[in-house]
Amino acid sequence: MDKKDFWKSLKDYNGSDDLRKIKENEFMEGVTDDFELGKLTKLSRRKFLALASVTAAIGATACTDYRDKGEIVPYNKKPEHLLIGKANYYASSCTGCSNACGLLIKTREGRPIKVDGNPEHPITRGKICAKGQASIYNLYDPERLQYPIIKGRRSDWNRVDSEIIESLKKATEENKEIALFAGSVKSPSALRVIENFKNKYPTAKIYSYQLFNESARQKAWEITYGTNDYPAILWEKADVILSIEGDFLGNEGNYIENTRKFSQGRNIVNSGNLNRLYVAESRMSVTGMMADYRLRLSPTKQFKFLMGLVNNLYKKGSKIKLPSYFESYLNKFDLAEFKNNEKVKLLIDDLHYNRGKSIIYAGSNLPIEIHLAVNLLNEILDNTGLYDSKYSFVNLLPLSEMNDIRDLCDKMKAGNVGVVIHLDTNPVFHLPSDYDYVEALKAVPTVITISSTKSETADLSDYLLPESTQFESWGDYYARKGVYGLQQPVIAPIFDTRQKEAILLRWSEGINDKFDEGRYRDFIAETCREQIYNKIKPASDFKAFWYAALHDGFIEFNENVDKPVFNTRALDELTKVKILEGDYTLIITESYFLGDGRYANNGWLQELPHPVTKVTWDNYLSISPATAKKMNLDMNDMAEVSYNGISLKLPIFVQPGMSDDTLHIEAGYGRKSVGVVGEGVGFNPLVFLTKNSNNSPFVLIGVDIKKAEGKYTLSSTQEHHSLDDTFVKDFHRIRKIIQEGTLPQYRKNHHFLHEDKDELFSITDEHKYDGVKWAMAIDLNKCTGCNVCVVSCSVENNVPVVGKDQVAKGREMQWIRIDRYYSGTPDEPIVSNQPMLCQHCDNAPCENVCPVNATNHSPDGLNQMVYNRCVGTRYCSNNCPYKVRRFNFYNYRDHFADAYYENELTFLVNNPEVTVRSRGVMEKCTFCIQRIMEARSEAIARGEEFKGAGIQTACQQACPSQAIVFGNVNDTDSEIAKLRKHDLAYHVLEVLNVKPNISYLAKIRNIHTEEIQ
Amino acid sequence: MEKKYLDYLFKIRLPLTLFVIISTFIVTYYISRPERDGLGYEPSQPINFSHKLHAGDMAIDCQYCHLSVEKSRYASIPSVNICMNCHTYARKDRPEIIKLTKYYEENKPITWKRIHKVPDYAYFNHSVHVNKGIKCETCHGDVAQMEKISQVRQFTMAACLDCHRNPHKNLPYLKVVNNGPENCYACHR
Repeated sequence: MDKKDFWKSLKDYNGSDDLRKIKENEFMEGVTDDFELGKLTKLSRRKFLALASVTAAIGATACTDYRDKGEIVPYNKKPEHLLIGKANYYASSCTGCSNACGLLIKTREGRPIKVDGNPEHPITRGKICAKGQASIYNLYDPERLQYPIIKGRRSDWNRVDSEIIESLKKATEENKEIALFAGSVKSPSALRVIENFKNKYPTAKIYSYQLFNESARQKAWEITYGTNDYPAILWEKADVILSIEGDFLGNEGNYIENTRKFSQGRNIVNSGNLNRLYVAESRMSVTGMMADYRLRLSPTKQFKFLMGLVNNLYKKGSKIKLPSYFESYLNKFDLAEFKNNEKVKLLIDDLHYNRGKSIIYAGSNLPIEIHLAVNLLNEILDNTGLYDSKYSFVNLLPLSEMNDIRDLCDKMKAGNVGVVIHLDTNPVFHLPSDYDYVEALKAVPTVITISSTKSETADLSDYLLPESTQFESWGDYYARKGVYGLQQPVIAPIFDTRQKEAILLRWSEGINDKFDEGRYRDFIAETCREQIYNKIKPASDFKAFWYAALHDGFIEFNENVDKPVFNTRALDELTKVKILEGDYTLIITESYFLGDGRYANNGWLQELPHPVTKVTWDNYLSISPATAKKMNLDMNDMAEVSYNGISLKLPIFVQPGMSDDTLHIEAGYGRKSVGVVGEGVGFNPLVFLTKNSNNSPFVLIGVDIKKAEGKYTLSSTQEHHSLDDTFVKDFHRIRKIIQEGTLPQYRKNHHFLHEDKDELFSITDEHKYDGVKWAMAIDLNKCTGCNVCVVSCSVENNVPVVGKDQVAKGREMQWIRIDRYYSGTPDEPIVSNQPMLCQHCDNAPCENVCPVNATNHSPDGLNQMVYNRCVGTRYCSNNCPYKVRRFNFYNYRDHFADAYYENELTFLVNNPEVTVRSRGVMEKCTFCIQRIMEARSEAIARGEEFKGAGIQTACQQACPSQAIVFGNVNDTDSEIAKLRKHDLAYHVLEVLNVKPNISYLAKIRNIHTEEIQ
Repeated sequence: MEKKYLDYLFKIRLPLTLFVIISTFIVTYYISRPERDGLGYEPSQPINFSHKLHAGDMAIDCQYCHLSVEKSRYASIPSVNICMNCHTYARKDRPEIIKLTKYYEENKPITWKRIHKVPDYAYFNHSVHVNKGIKCETCHGDVAQMEKISQVRQFTMAACLDCHRNPHKNLPYLKVVNNGPENCYACHR
């Protein structure tokens, strides 16, 4: 045996035989022996696991208190006037735009859940716009600013206040300007706060800027009549209305007030009144959809057209005498271009024969000269009686001239501005890019932004101060003559926020005391005492007066108004007008629902279909069908628009009824910094704004357009819901979805709608409804398609936001929609709007096919939907002829934008009386069953028989034109019982004999012929 | 042998197992029914409040504390300040009242254990029932004799419907009573 160099053990070293044997085997002895099953334990691994899990399950069950039902936590000290389960209502004012409409805010257990108009408010009479309805989502927006931020870091108010006051003092000492960049100021107290601030810091200067404003109208009024405050219009008294590019029913002026008054003049069903609306416009607006006669008119031709009318009508007679130089100037405008246009002839006749009873109105976006011509024409036609001077628009703080803002930018760049304070404004997004505001801001040592969300301007600020929303703030508003509106908080600030007026007040009054929310309230009370109480001298003492005013939400008082006297200075201005020409004209208008971009982070508003195009979550370039054909462009193609060296690529929308060679983009989209919902949605046309605009800033003449590479998908809600009429033209008329008539036809035969009706019979016995039976009537003469009902319904019934991708798949969840149908030609379309919601059919086809009886009929005629029974077969939706059922393909609160709206804060917005639906169930309009049940319980509490009077559905309550009527048809005194028997009432798809409980009152077009043209 | 084993499996073992399982389920289902419906649930409360003393012996009206029962969907559990209406003066030295006063002074709400619960998707309305003359006892039992509150009636849909369908049998003390609504929207929305 050789000696080894390496050895493992002594045995190995000595060369043991045993070891050698062991080494010969690969494994140790016994390792590879078979198992003896008998000796192993009987408990297999599988059994062991089963037993272990059973033990765990039993353990878990035994340890949890499965009988536990949670806790009830009552108040410690219950606030007075609060009953658990009952809503409280507070009057307030809206701060969403400069109209300051009166609000009635519904709160439950201290949290606001619904906003409606204050029914007693003299201007809006219980109605507010879609933005106001949806503004409640801003209160519960998870991305709201929650604490003060200094240079991107969280801070606190004490530090912010002391540091900023230092900066303000320093700027004053160095004699540098302090620029207060405010929106339009309508609050007398805010104005006083600003005055106080200026007294404390004498170098402070206020700049008031609003992107879309009425300043052209206001200035024209000032030139024509010499007064600041331009009047409202008594639309209800007008028999003939001509609107030039004016969207007074859509988003101009106080369009909620306008819609109410206009629809009073459209009350053919009750009073037989029917005004005639002429619209001459280049785009297709909400007002244009309502027109009896619509004239396509490019912006470059509007001034000539208007002056032609002036010339023509002046020659037929006039209330005022024009100087001879002007008469000869007028002769240049002869309407030669419209010589063969029937509509223009009719228009001239109508205006001529309705002197004193007609009104001409021009769009806010148009230049001053058009407004001057409109004032002149109204004067010639003696229409001044339709000006409502009692409620004139008050010009409390005039908007800054563009020159002032240009100077500010220069001063900032030169280092002459020490502090800039943005009071809830976003000039970085709004100001024309050639002002170079971003560069100018860099030269300012202290930039402060007070805002409730982040914004393009906030991102460039040193101090970002969170602002309370309108539900957490005090305020007073003097937007209209004779009306002083008050705003009160309905919830304590949810986060560490303050309202902007209180912040400024604190900076001017010092920070020795602790911050007190009530300070600004007392300040407003002082204003109210000085400016209102002392003026109207009521019998009550001030305290009682103040509380009564807070309760009502407004104070109405008489104000002396001077009768406006026409000033010939306006004529001089008119002779100086230069008419610009260009191949293509771009018009930029304010978005219907996002405003100037302020509401971009509101999911409900983003998802609201555009009133005309029905596109959601986007803006686009609208062009006429003829222009599209000429440019070889089609829907969803990309196009590049350029003007002044700036270009923008955006998708094309081919809009019937647009004037040729006109391009239209809505602004408010394309926000770069606002929040998850609004960022990157749409395109920003404000890049085209320039300081050198010599026309209106929003009408750009001489833009270029060319086709660009690529395709885009616009999500719209119309195609997949309506019966598409491309293969059968006027399908909606043939199928009698839309039934219409003309005034001559109606006058000749009131019953014309039901002349050639098929006799319908049922093979089963009719069900008897003895007690209450619910029904709704919708007056299509009044409906403008404004969409306020849609938002109101969504807020009331906890309807979720689904997102653009889901809308593209036809999965939007809104329970009510406005169907828009075109007839006529693509160039001259006739538009019909029709709100469509569950028809609650007596013979509902959805009910027969539900395999689990989740949808069935109630004894009061409602088509019920029971979420807990629904298994999601979607047969009902398939069988619904009106396509009004909505299926939860996801739990949308969780699905949308990574559960953006699924959090503790946003859940507070939900109506506690309505179930929050989850994935896999069908839902639809319930006729606001929660409101019916509430009214029923109140009737029982009073010991009365429940007759169903006074119940308003959410859509009805919100409808600005009061087109919707709801009630009990078995109550013969009710309005609904009368309307259902009206000559103009019809059911959609009547031949199906499903017996809908919604009646539509057919639209009567006020045109001269019997046939609709 | 193989065949015999299968015979045994299918003819005896399988039916036997199934029988045992099904009968266990049925027996457990019925025996545990009241338990599952919460009958007899009598949890301990943060304050040992006696309904027998207040509602029974002293005959304080239910609505003195449950003040919204006639006006609202909820009867409402009284807030602490209602208790303090009396207990600012009455029995201030008792240990439970000292506890109560402490809650009041610290401005902390009392977290009562919930006993009666209707599911979230059923919108039961107290005011409708109370205003129709239905007594609290009908659903909540004779609270006035309970030292500690427990659940005595079932709060299931079957229980609701039983009363809605046979009001005369269930509410013998009401002279005039109609059948309650049976449609879905009466409770679910």
